[in-house]
Amino acid sequence: MAALLSKFRRPRRLNTLVPKPGKSNGDQNNQSQIDPGHASQSRNLSSNIEDNLRSLKGIFHQCSDIIFREFLFAQREQIKLALIYIDGLIDKSQVSDQIIRALSLEVPVATDETTITKKNAWHYIKMRGLCVHQLQESQRLPDIVSAVLSGNCVLLVDGHPNALIVDSRSWAARSIEESKTETVIRGPRESFVETLRTNTSMLRRKIKNPNLKIEVLKLGEVTQTDIAILYINGIANEGLVQEAKKRLSDIKIDAVLDSGYIQELIRDNPNSMFPTISHTDRPDRVAAHLLEGRVAIMVDGTPMVLVAPYLFIEAIQTPEDYYEPAIFMSGVRVLRIISLVIALTLPSLYIAITSFHQEMLPTPLLLSLAAQREAVPLPVFVEAFIMEFAFEIIREAGIRLPREVGQAVSIVAALIIGQAAVQAGLVAGATIIVVALTAMASFTVYYSGSITFRLLRFPLMFLAASFGLFGMIGGIIAMVVYMTSLRSFGVPYLAPLGPTIIGDLKDSAVRVPWWAMHKRPHLIGQNNPQREATGMQPKPPQQKNN
Amino acid sequence: MIKKTICLLVIISLIFPLGGCWSRRELNELAIVLAAGVDSTPEGNIVLTVQIARPNAFGGSQGSQQTGGKVGQNNVWVVSQEGETVQDATRYLESKVFRHIYWSHAVILVLGEQISKEGIRKAINFFSRSPDVRDQTIWVMVARGQARDILNSHSQLETTSAQSIGSIIQKGVGPPVMYKDLSMMLASKGVNPVLPRIELTLSGIPQGPELYENIPEAQNDQQQSTTTHAEVTLTGTAVFNDDRLVGWLDYHETRGLLWLKNQITRGEITVPSPTEPDKKISIDITRGNTQVEPFYDGQNIWFDVLMGLNGALLEQQSKEELTDPQIFAAIEKNTALSMEANARSAIEKAKYDYGVDIFGFGEAFHRKYKDAWPALEDKWDEAFIGADINIKGEVTIRRTGLITNRMSSK
Repeated sequence: MAALLSKFRRPRRLNTLVPKPGKSNGDQNNQSQIDPGHASQSRNLSSNIEDNLRSLKGIFHQCSDIIFREFLFAQREQIKLALIYIDGLIDKSQVSDQIIRALSLEVPVATDETTITKKNAWHYIKMRGLCVHQLQESQRLPDIVSAVLSGNCVLLVDGHPNALIVDSRSWAARSIEESKTETVIRGPRESFVETLRTNTSMLRRKIKNPNLKIEVLKLGEVTQTDIAILYINGIANEGLVQEAKKRLSDIKIDAVLDSGYIQELIRDNPNSMFPTISHTDRPDRVAAHLLEGRVAIMVDGTPMVLVAPYLFIEAIQTPEDYYEPAIFMSGVRVLRIISLVIALTLPSLYIAITSFHQEMLPTPLLLSLAAQREAVPLPVFVEAFIMEFAFEIIREAGIRLPREVGQAVSIVAALIIGQAAVQAGLVAGATIIVVALTAMASFTVYYSGSITFRLLRFPLMFLAASFGLFGMIGGIIAMVVYMTSLRSFGVPYLAPLGPTIIGDLKDSAVRVPWWAMHKRPHLIGQNNPQREATGMQPKPPQQKNN
Repeated sequence: MIKKTICLLVIISLIFPLGGCWSRRELNELAIVLAAGVDSTPEGNIVLTVQIARPNAFGGSQGSQQTGGKVGQNNVWVVSQEGETVQDATRYLESKVFRHIYWSHAVILVLGEQISKEGIRKAINFFSRSPDVRDQTIWVMVARGQARDILNSHSQLETTSAQSIGSIIQKGVGPPVMYKDLSMMLASKGVNPVLPRIELTLSGIPQGPELYENIPEAQNDQQQSTTTHAEVTLTGTAVFNDDRLVGWLDYHETRGLLWLKNQITRGEITVPSPTEPDKKISIDITRGNTQVEPFYDGQNIWFDVLMGLNGALLEQQSKEELTDPQIFAAIEKNTALSMEANARSAIEKAKYDYGVDIFGFGEAFHRKYKDAWPALEDKWDEAFIGADINIKGEVTIRRTGLITNRMSSK
C-alpha cells in the first residue's frame, strides 16, 4: 500500500561522508580519514624515496598485509628501489621474477652497467628492466594508494618523483561455475564470478566488438568498489546510458558490497514491490540484453550483474527460450504465464469459492470438498493462510539451513505438511494441493519477479476472505493499475502489453523464430531498431529455369 | 506528511475487516440440498422434503480408505417438514437442520402427484424467488404418488438418488425440463407445461456383499432383506393444463411429444421388417430434427410438421438383404410411419383427452402470425383442438452398424 501512494521520484541520496575532525584516533600524521582517495589530498611524490616511503608507511599504518620491499637497482648502492603491494593480491612469482629479479640481477647482465646512473635509472627500469605487461606512471600519492589497494605493485625509484604502477594482480578467486540461480538444459553453462575483470572478459568473449563499452568508476567511500557500466555504443540509447551514469555518479555511500546496494539506490519507484532492475549471473543473458540496447552494471565482488531497464514481461522469459525451438518455448511461456496466475491467485480463488461462491463448483466436486473440510476445525482462510505460511517457512529454511541437514529437514517438512496435517484433520487435502501447486508455480518464473507475487498473494487471500471474488478481482485490478504507472528508466513497466506494441508481442507470450525477430524491442532498442536481415526464413532452393 | 499517510493507510486497511465477511459460509456450515420434494396435505398445507448430502459419507478426511460415497449406503439425510408455504416449511426445517440450508446445488425438484393436481404454482414460487436456487441447473419432475418416497429411495449406481434421477432426465428419455423451462411454459399462453413422470419400480436384484439375497433359503432367514430393489424410473410424461396436472402420456406418446417439441436427442425406433412382418428391425436415432410450420387463412389454422431422422440400423431379426435399395427404402418408410404414429397418438391424447397444447404449436403460431395472436391467445387451446396437423416423417438410414448383411442367412 505504501508503494501505491509513493510519489514517483528518484531516491534521495546520502550525504557525502565528511570526515569529522577529532575522530581520528591520534594516528600518525592525523591521516586516519576513512576515504583513502582523499588521503594526503593531492599530494605529489617527492624525489627523495625516503620521504615517499615515510608518507606511504604513514598512510598504511597498521595495515599488516602491506609489504614494503626495498632493494637495489642493478646492484648499485646509490639507486634504491621500493616495491609496495598487498600480500595476497599479487602474483608472487611474477613480482619476484619479473620485477625484483629482473631489476636487481638481470639488468646488469643484459646491459652495460657502467652506463647506469641515478639520473637515467628511470629509463632503464621502465624501458629495459621490467618484464611486465601493463605499466602506468603516476606522481600523485592518492593514485598510488589506490593502485596498491587494488592489488597493483607500486615501484618507487630513488631520485625520481614518479612511481611505476605494475599490474600484477592475482588473488584466490572462485572459478567459473555453472549458474546456480538460473539453470538451463540447453545453452551456455558458465556464470559470472566475483572478479569484475573476469566478468567483463566473459562478456567481451561473447561480444567481440569495440562498440562494447565498459566504463569503470569507483563507488563506496570506504570500500572503493569498482563498478563497470556496460553498453553497446550505437545500440543503446544515449539518453539511457547518460541517465544510468548520472544515477550512479549521484551515489554517495560508504560501501558497496553487492549489486543490490546499487539496485536500490538507482531504481525508479524506490518503494515499489515490483523490481524495475533485473539481476542475473548469466553472461548470455547480459549479452542478449546489451544487444537489445540495455545497460548492464557490474559490481566487483559479486556475480550478480544488474540490467536495466527491466520490464514485467521478462519474468516469464528465460535465456533458454531463445535457444530451444520457438514453438516449444512458446508453449512453455504460456505455461509460465498460467503458473504466474496460479502463483498469484490460486489460494485466494480457492478461499473465495469455497467460502463465498460454492455454487460455482460442480456438485460432485463440492461434495468431495465438503467431505474433506468436514473434520477441519478452521475456516478455510485460516487454513490456507497457515499452510502458505508454513510453506514459506520451509522455503526459507531450505535456503538457510546447512547442506548436511537439508535432506533430513525436507523429509520432516514434507511429512508434517503433506501427510500428518491431513491425517490429523487439521487441513483438508484440497488445501494441500492448492498450496503445493501455488508454491511450485511460483518457481517457474523469474525468481525476483516471483517474490513479488508470493508476497502479494497474502493481501489477495485476505481480500478474498473478506469480500469473495469481488475483493480478489478488485485487488488484481488495483495491482494492474499500479503496474501501469511504473517506469523502468523511462520505459513503461508493462510494455509491450501496457502500451500495446504490436511488433514487440513477438517476444512476449510467445516467441517467434529467430528469422522473424527482425527488430529490437521498440522502446529499448529504438536507437538501432534493425536486428537482422529480413527474409531469412529457411526455404527450399528456388527452381532454376533451364 | 508521512504520519498522515500511515494513518490513512491504517484506516483504509481497517475498513476491510469491518466488512466482517458477513456473507462468508464455510463448507462445513452448509446443509447441501441435493433434492427437494413438495407434497400437499389434506388440510391444504405443504410438506417439503429435502435430501441433504452427508459430507462424511463422501470420503472424509481419511481420504485414502474410502474414496467417494458408497453406493446404496446412508449418504443422505431425507427430512420432511410441514408448513403453510415452502418458505414456512424451510424455516421450520431450520429447527432440525442446524446448518444453513443451501439450495444452489439442488439437482431435482420433485412435485407430488396430489399437489400437481391442485396446482403447482403454490408449490414452486419459492424456487423462483430464492436467490439460492438456480433455475438453470435444477430439473423438475412429477412423482407418481408422493415426492417424499422418491427422495427416500437410493440409487444402485450413483451415490445419491438425486444425482441418478438428474442423469436419467439428462439422457432425454422423457422431456428434460429445467426449472427455467417450467417457468417459461407456465408464463406462455402458447404452450402448456409437461414434466417428466417418475416413480419407483422394482428394478433388478442388487449383487455384491449381500449376495445371500439370491439364495432362496437365505431369503427366508433374512426377513428384513429385500430381494429386489426399487429404483427411480422415468415412466412417461405429466400433462398440465396451466398449472394443474390433467393426465399422463405413456412411453410411446412421450416419444411423439419429444419429436413434436424437437427435443429428440437419442433413442431408437423398432419397426416390423418389410419382408417378414413378424420380425423386427431397430433403428438407432443419430440425429432428429423437427420443423413446425403454422398456416392461418383467417379462419382455419393448420400445421405442417416435418420430422427428419438420421439413423443407423442396429438390429435386424429378419433376413432380408440390406444391400437392396428397395428393401432399404421400405425400412425407412416403415420407420417414418412409426414416428408419425407416435406423434399422432401424442397429439390425439393432447387434443381429445386433455384439450391442451403441450407441444408449443401456439408459440410457433405466435412467431409467424404476430398480429393474429392477441385475438387467439386466450382461447388458444380451443383453436389448437380445431387445428389440422399434418405430420410427415423423413427417415434416412445412413449406416447398418459394423456389418451390412447378416453373417448367416440361415
